[in-house]
Amino acid sequence: MAGPSIRIKPAGEPSKSTNISGEDSSHRLVAFLQSQSQNTLTRLYQKPSSCLSIFRLLRPLERQLVMNLLWLEMPVPASTMAAWVTREGKRPYHDALATLARLHILPQSPVKHALNPTFKSSMRQAITGGGSSGSFGVLSENDDKHPPPDIEALDAYALERWETILYYMVSSGTGQFPARPSQGVLYLLQRSRLMANVHGNTLQITSAGFQFLLHPPHEQLWELLLQYLQMAEERQMDLVEVLSFLLMLSTTELGKDYSMENLSATQKAMLEDLRDYGLIKQRTATSRRFSPTRLATTLTSSSPPLPTSTGTGNGSQAQGFIVLETNYRLYAYTDNPLQIAVLNLFVTLKSRFPNLVVGQITRESVKKALTNGITADQVISYLITHAHPQMRKNKPLLPVTVQDQIRLWELEKNRVKSQEGYLYTAFASQADYEYVLNYAKQLDVVLWENASRRCFFGSVEGHANIRGFIERRSAAGNA
Amino acid sequence: MDKPSHLSVILDLSPTQWALCAQSANPTGITLQTFLSQLLAFLNAHIACKDENTLAVFGAFPGQSGMLYSSTGEITSARTESTDANTYRPFRTLDSTLMTLIAERLESYDSTTEEAPIGLVGCLTKALCYINRAITTSSSSVTEIEGAVASVDPRILVLSVSPDQSSTYIPIMNSIFSAQKLKVTIDVCKIFGAENVFLQQAAHLTGGAYVQVERTDALLQYMMMSFLPPPAIRQLISVPTQDRVDFRAACFCHKRIVEIGFVCSVCLSIFCQPVPVCSTCRTKFPIKTLQRLRDARPLAAAAPPTKPLAPKNGTATPARPG
Repeated sequence: MAGPSIRIKPAGEPSKSTNISGEDSSHRLVAFLQSQSQNTLTRLYQKPSSCLSIFRLLRPLERQLVMNLLWLEMPVPASTMAAWVTREGKRPYHDALATLARLHILPQSPVKHALNPTFKSSMRQAITGGGSSGSFGVLSENDDKHPPPDIEALDAYALERWETILYYMVSSGTGQFPARPSQGVLYLLQRSRLMANVHGNTLQITSAGFQFLLHPPHEQLWELLLQYLQMAEERQMDLVEVLSFLLMLSTTELGKDYSMENLSATQKAMLEDLRDYGLIKQRTATSRRFSPTRLATTLTSSSPPLPTSTGTGNGSQAQGFIVLETNYRLYAYTDNPLQIAVLNLFVTLKSRFPNLVVGQITRESVKKALTNGITADQVISYLITHAHPQMRKNKPLLPVTVQDQIRLWELEKNRVKSQEGYLYTAFASQADYEYVLNYAKQLDVVLWENASRRCFFGSVEGHANIRGFIERRSAAGNA
Repeated sequence: MDKPSHLSVILDLSPTQWALCAQSANPTGITLQTFLSQLLAFLNAHIACKDENTLAVFGAFPGQSGMLYSSTGEITSARTESTDANTYRPFRTLDSTLMTLIAERLESYDSTTEEAPIGLVGCLTKALCYINRAITTSSSSVTEIEGAVASVDPRILVLSVSPDQSSTYIPIMNSIFSAQKLKVTIDVCKIFGAENVFLQQAAHLTGGAYVQVERTDALLQYMMMSFLPPPAIRQLISVPTQDRVDFRAACFCHKRIVEIGFVCSVCLSIFCQPVPVCSTCRTKFPIKTLQRLRDARPLAAAAPPTKPLAPKNGTATPARPG
């Protein structure tokens, strides 16, 4: 499958990313599910499609443990199970057990382990097929008048929707007024604190929003969807219905029309929102059928959720478009306004050609990004993810000088440390000054001193003591 | 992140052996039908693990071999599948394609004529070629972006019911060496019949698992636990390997499996008896040595020949075929 390789973890140390010993963090959705009640989860596990999708989001060792237990009728003694893992696997194994227990897939028990019966029967059904749950989506009848949309049209649609959202975010506050996404999307962006109401009714991107822009699309998508899930409860939508619909979408097939007949009222209401995000496409708003886009079908996989970015469309952008030289010069082979706008966050753009943008990474441009809340690592991982194929021949991929400099600029920002305290001045005599200063030094609260001006700066914690000391002394002097 | 993995499954579909297996009482046999339904569950589980996991199924039939399914869609069943909302669609396509093709192939065999030897080697080489192509295309295209480590994690699973054919020793060894070079793990599951020397060596040399199924009613559990974990996970989850490997080789002259053989000092060809001229590289051996070897032969234990092929033990590397 062609397309940009989307990394879930930020790039950087390749040794880390190849680590399979369960040290990768769990998927965001898994973390969200762990916070749900057992009741909710058990209802969710009634659908085979939900089980299959959740299973795919688990870490490799967790998946294997589930598979080992899936076909057993009897509970397995904990000691037998512990013998399955090698010595190096001990810690990941216990982590995996803990995660599965929190998901209520494998209830915690000191003696014997058996899968949650609901999960077990649904998962078996998912793998062997059959049953009558219809949870994998009902295809709509073939209709000669309205053939299902072709994959290219779906991709273009998804991309257009998604980029509208991102482009709206990135260009907010710059004086440009690009196409506005729908009201629902705007509300979601505001709720997720990616954008905030600054003055009056203009939405402005927040520092979380800037960070969001540099994330890979897959992560962005889940970030919004999780926010959507949290919102669902407030909107009196049943969380289980919402979740199982999303998970069902992830098992559907690209380029097929699905029928709305089996959907509940909540799920029908969701269609409108998902249409705004670009997850599904409907011919008209009142259509009885919908087709999932690539954004939806790749929810539980790590293959790229978005097709080749628009623009020249010759596929070169799928492989990245950024060339970065050791002299901090950056060439981006793109004419996509979104990509240019994102680059503009941390690059001073110099000139623009029909298919090429040339810019320079400067101290000012990086500092601007840093003040927006973007970290140096995020900049670097964005550059790595979108590096041009030509760059991939280099080892290391990005010039070390540039990487280091970006990190140094970040450190520079952290150069000044602020600490609250009090300045003591106007001592009557040098002896007075030294006497108080000595006392303060004994308390270890002096942050700065200047003998010639007879003043010193003490931290907040020491203030009460020093003040008491001075007062006692002046009282004694007066007496 | 965990990598996608590729699994090539080789099915041994010899009608005679399956008939024997179904009738066998000790150990309890298993019919082809039951086996296939358990296999499908296993294959579905492999695809279920990760969306990017790929699968190819090859069938070894008497005297021929062929691809039965590939997730890249090279083989499609003529029958268009009906819509079914209860099954994940990739599973459904896999199941129907595989079952239709196997049924078609097996029906075409004439039960009266004698069965040709099983085309296992053909399958093995086809699977290796398939994997090689998958690796090279993925490394030249975009999936390579994360460097060489991102390529698929390939392995082959051989489900065998037929006994060893000593005539296939050389091609099997060649396949093993290519597998080693491609870093392909070969797993072997022996469902019926005696231990298979060559396949045992294949599993051992490529770091795969060799499982002799003792209880066919638990076949699915065997497969899930031993063959589902991709090689990367096997560092964490132990997978059965054999502690005793039969390292016997087959001689090049009569294709017999030998315990003590004579190895050409030039090309390492194996012979079951001393020969004056190596049949592979045409090297002539001195008459004197020949005489000495002939004398030593019956008393192999007391006075071992100058170049015995060390059998049985793990120290010996198998002879390289000429």
